[in-house]
Amino acid sequence: MSDIPFKNPGWAGNTGEFDLTEEQVRGDDFVGDRPKHGGHASGAGTLPYMLADKHPEAALFEGEYQERFEKILTRYPTKQAALLPALGLAQEIRGHVSPESMDRVAELLDLSPAYVRGVTTFYTMYNKRPVGDHLVQVCTNISCNLAGADEVVDAFLRYTDTELGETSEDGKFTVIEAECLAACGFPTCVQINSRYFENVTPDQVPQICEHLKSQGGE
Amino acid sequence: MAYPYVSDHEVQIVSKHFGDPQQRRVDTYVERGGYQALKKAFDMGPEQVIDMVKSSGLRGRGGAGFPTGVKWSFMPKESGKPHYLLCNADESEPGTFKDRELIRWDPHQLIEGCLIGAYAIGAQHVYIYCRGEFFEVNQILARAVEDAYAKGYIGKDIMGSGNDLELTVHQGAGAYICGEETGLMNSLEGRRGQPRVKPPFPAAVGAFGMPSTINNVETLCAVTHIVDNGGEWYRQYGTEKSPGTKLFCVSGHVNKPGNYELPLGFPLSQMIEEVCGGMRDGNALKAVIPGGSSVPIINAEEVARCNLDYEGCVEVGTMLGCASVIVMDETTDIVKAVRRMVDFYAHESCGQCTPCREGSAWTAKILRRIEDGRGTEEDLDTLMQMTQQMVGTTICVLSDSVAAPVQSSIEKFRDEYLALIRRGERVGAA
Amino acid sequence: MADMVTLTIDGHEVSVPKGTTILEAAKTVGTEVPHYCYHPGMSSPAMCRLCLVEVEGAPKPMPGCVTTVMEGQVVNTQSDQAKSNRQGVLEFYLVNHPLDCPICDMSGECNLQDYVHAEGREQGRGREPKRVFGRDDFGGDVLFYGDRCVMCTRCVRFMSEVEQDHRLTVVERGNRSVIDTFFDEGLDGTDWHENIVDICPVGALVSKDFLHKARAWDLTHTPSICTSCSQGCNIDLHTRDNLVQRIKPRENLDVNGWWICDHGRHNYEWMNRGDRIEAPLARDGSSSRAVGWKDALRGLLDRAASLDAASVKAVASPQSSNEDLAGLKALVDALGGGDIVYRSARAEDEVPLKGFPGLARRHDLAANTTGANLLGMARVGADDASGGLEGVADHGGIVIVLGDGLDDQPESFGGKAGLYIYLGTHESAATTAADYVLPVGTHAESEGTFTNREGRVQRFEPALEPPGMARPAWLILGALAGEQSGGSVARSAGEAFASLAGSNPAFSGISYDDVGSRGAVINESVSLTGD
Repeated sequence: MSDIPFKNPGWAGNTGEFDLTEEQVRGDDFVGDRPKHGGHASGAGTLPYMLADKHPEAALFEGEYQERFEKILTRYPTKQAALLPALGLAQEIRGHVSPESMDRVAELLDLSPAYVRGVTTFYTMYNKRPVGDHLVQVCTNISCNLAGADEVVDAFLRYTDTELGETSEDGKFTVIEAECLAACGFPTCVQINSRYFENVTPDQVPQICEHLKSQGGE
Repeated sequence: MAYPYVSDHEVQIVSKHFGDPQQRRVDTYVERGGYQALKKAFDMGPEQVIDMVKSSGLRGRGGAGFPTGVKWSFMPKESGKPHYLLCNADESEPGTFKDRELIRWDPHQLIEGCLIGAYAIGAQHVYIYCRGEFFEVNQILARAVEDAYAKGYIGKDIMGSGNDLELTVHQGAGAYICGEETGLMNSLEGRRGQPRVKPPFPAAVGAFGMPSTINNVETLCAVTHIVDNGGEWYRQYGTEKSPGTKLFCVSGHVNKPGNYELPLGFPLSQMIEEVCGGMRDGNALKAVIPGGSSVPIINAEEVARCNLDYEGCVEVGTMLGCASVIVMDETTDIVKAVRRMVDFYAHESCGQCTPCREGSAWTAKILRRIEDGRGTEEDLDTLMQMTQQMVGTTICVLSDSVAAPVQSSIEKFRDEYLALIRRGERVGAA
Repeated sequence: MADMVTLTIDGHEVSVPKGTTILEAAKTVGTEVPHYCYHPGMSSPAMCRLCLVEVEGAPKPMPGCVTTVMEGQVVNTQSDQAKSNRQGVLEFYLVNHPLDCPICDMSGECNLQDYVHAEGREQGRGREPKRVFGRDDFGGDVLFYGDRCVMCTRCVRFMSEVEQDHRLTVVERGNRSVIDTFFDEGLDGTDWHENIVDICPVGALVSKDFLHKARAWDLTHTPSICTSCSQGCNIDLHTRDNLVQRIKPRENLDVNGWWICDHGRHNYEWMNRGDRIEAPLARDGSSSRAVGWKDALRGLLDRAASLDAASVKAVASPQSSNEDLAGLKALVDALGGGDIVYRSARAEDEVPLKGFPGLARRHDLAANTTGANLLGMARVGADDASGGLEGVADHGGIVIVLGDGLDDQPESFGGKAGLYIYLGTHESAATTAADYVLPVGTHAESEGTFTNREGRVQRFEPALEPPGMARPAWLILGALAGEQSGGSVARSAGEAFASLAGSNPAFSGISYDDVGSRGAVINESVSLTGD
């Protein structure tokens, strides 16, 4: 795959390549799509949380997800330790962690719902309410900021015609600021759903959004 | 093809295979000599592995710089309880982007290091706490672990040695504070990721209440090579007190930002000029944060005499931290930069300790007011005095990290604050 | 001693058991190190950072609540470092605190007020807009004022560690942290949750029942014992204008720790009842008239003397004190002896406080059943304290009723008696036939002791003025018995108890002073009346 030009050979790759498939960008087929049942138990808790079939009303932990949930339980000495992966799983299925999801997870793990709410709200990656098809998280922390991340945020907000945290009218985008995404050498870094877009400049923003729209809900 | 940028000054040990997608495959890794260090460790025995790591002088690469071998030796020998090795891959210090690269380019190097570490401290289970936002990294790692299980490098009776080790990849959920070792343990246990009061220390009461050791990704990756080549080999790089190589994450206003593996003790100004291709647009250097946003800022004069090792950074009044070098040129608005860092800490404070919970948000509000041109000179005194109340008064050091950039910037760039307060003059304003 | 550690705190050398925290050790030299998150009944998260003290040789100030003492340690709680830390932490609290003391129920007993007054800065430096959380109804009796909260998490830990029903949690993190329940779940259905109002060091958690009812500094605190079950929880009655305004637990590690149940806490309105008997009433034909005590007692004894060898039947109340019951027994004996029965309510279930073994709202819903049993009285009637008085209602001799309201009894109760004496607080249908109705004080108006389910004798003190001519029952009964038998008459509750201790082996050897504020356990093992 050395014929792909890039500045940063990341998974997402240079923003100039965002119309490539992920396999092309990654340079090999090493990862591919992980199975919903989680594959080997050691990594069963580690799938991306925004799948194409996310649905706010979907059943939790059934079928392959049930299998995966049970695999996760085997990896820790306590049931409680499965809480974070279980919430991640709920979000993967439903797109956000609703009070009903918290309640169900609490029941499955013998925890109190209030406890689960306390844990859920501690972590930023659990969406407490539904978000757009594409959750755009622009790193505005120091390194990206030095490279003009604020303008990138503005560009996204302008394109989507939203305020920070708001979902666009067509339900496609929610733009938020993110804390350091650990890609400081490739500023500005934007995480859109599971995927990192690096070296993003404001003028590329419309192009990225058009591309995402053309793919439909991820 | 070379990883974004490389430099002749680099000594590539842990970063040797950056940019090579084949390295992720277990077969390639083994062909290139992988998992031999683990075999060697099994042959040596745990005590000898710890001694070797001690002799290498390897210091924790997560920020604190505590000698790794010494840390391992704190683990009780015959406790009769399960022991855990936790790998801290919750990389989220602003300016740091090395662990993500280490895992996604060379996951087996980390897995091997984890297994060696676990064997040395008598742990039966390794948890790699990988930052939640790293979906890609998590998947690469999960796949690599799966492959290593399939090939018998993890699991029961590894390579016929009779040793059993389990490894789990645990995905975080978005909290900077989970990079603090006891916060990480709470998070792993399914709690709010709030740091715990120490003592008891993790070697006595750690994850799930059991003796635990926690190491950074880069530390464990280095262990793989130390066990492979010996402690003395590692000492040929770096300085007497800070041996070995270190990944420097350079970001900000340089021409070639990126990860560079350099021997410790490398001069900072030489790194900026020769390794990173100099300052962007030929601008003058204004300030550098050499160890991630939690350490004091240094000015151009201090940069000129700063050597990048643990002691060298202390000499110029800052810290090496996790060697995340954030370079700022003359166009940088220091007030805004500091405010943005403090915003981060206010956002990430876990909210337990009063000085941190209230102080970080208050500091951010004052800085925001100054940045908006509504500050007073008394605000600077308030900031200095009030952030001092946040140093050494809390369970973990997050609140100290608020004080570092605020205090150092007011000391070193007071004129810039005053220009903004008195005359509304802003640096870098278009 | 091997297990003692000697250290120096603020220049005083002290020896305390190994494992004691610096904060507790400091109490032994009279120093209360300010703190919020620490509570002796729960785990210590060491997060308020107010109790940081200087320990010589330590690189950083140490939290007194979790740092255990070491031999030879030198601790300074009043050093510049410790004081400036406290000043700093207090200023941080005030950055977002609304300072709405004038409308805050906690005002006057608020630790934030006290600490800031003692050690805070004279002038705050906060200029920024304050964070606003507003008010939330937590269900049950609890209102939450988020802005006043100091995030000590005592309430969260009480619910998870002591009540062991994890209804409360910290939501969000950092500066946005706020205490909450699971959305609308609230605290309803839990039986001990109101203790969180007591342990809240500020006015963040307040009682709806007490909301804006009285200012803390206007309340008089009187040590008392809860009468809602046989556990005998130590409480304080908080009174103003001769009314009980609220009940608060009083620390007693042997009985209830720092806690009381919600049922007991709210069971006080009856003490404020207005329709009381205010003077002795003597029946005269079909009507009754108020008489003076002397006339009442004289007339009563004369009437008794006129009855030939009349047998006595008496009804007592397990809510009466040991002294009252002993007085009743003495009178019955002086009148020739007879059976004394009592009725008491019993609940189907106990309601234990899981995190404090030995504490529960008991089956037995009366304070002094043990005392009644030890005095040879027998329980009759149903579990709702009704019925069981058939033999008494139609008794032809002397009938004496003490304390039982007889609310379920008909107007004909005692109508056939030669002499029917009723000692109580208010009239009912069943007192119509009484020859003498004598007003007595409630336990809130009297002094005395109860014996709880484990045989612990505990004292209570009068918190209210009794209405009109009402007097303690032990005084009235003692005077009657003394007059009748020619014996000595107790002039104080202490003397009444001494007389009981002298005559009843179960209580022998215990003096009123021994009982003190902590209680004393009686000599014989107690039948736990089916508990």
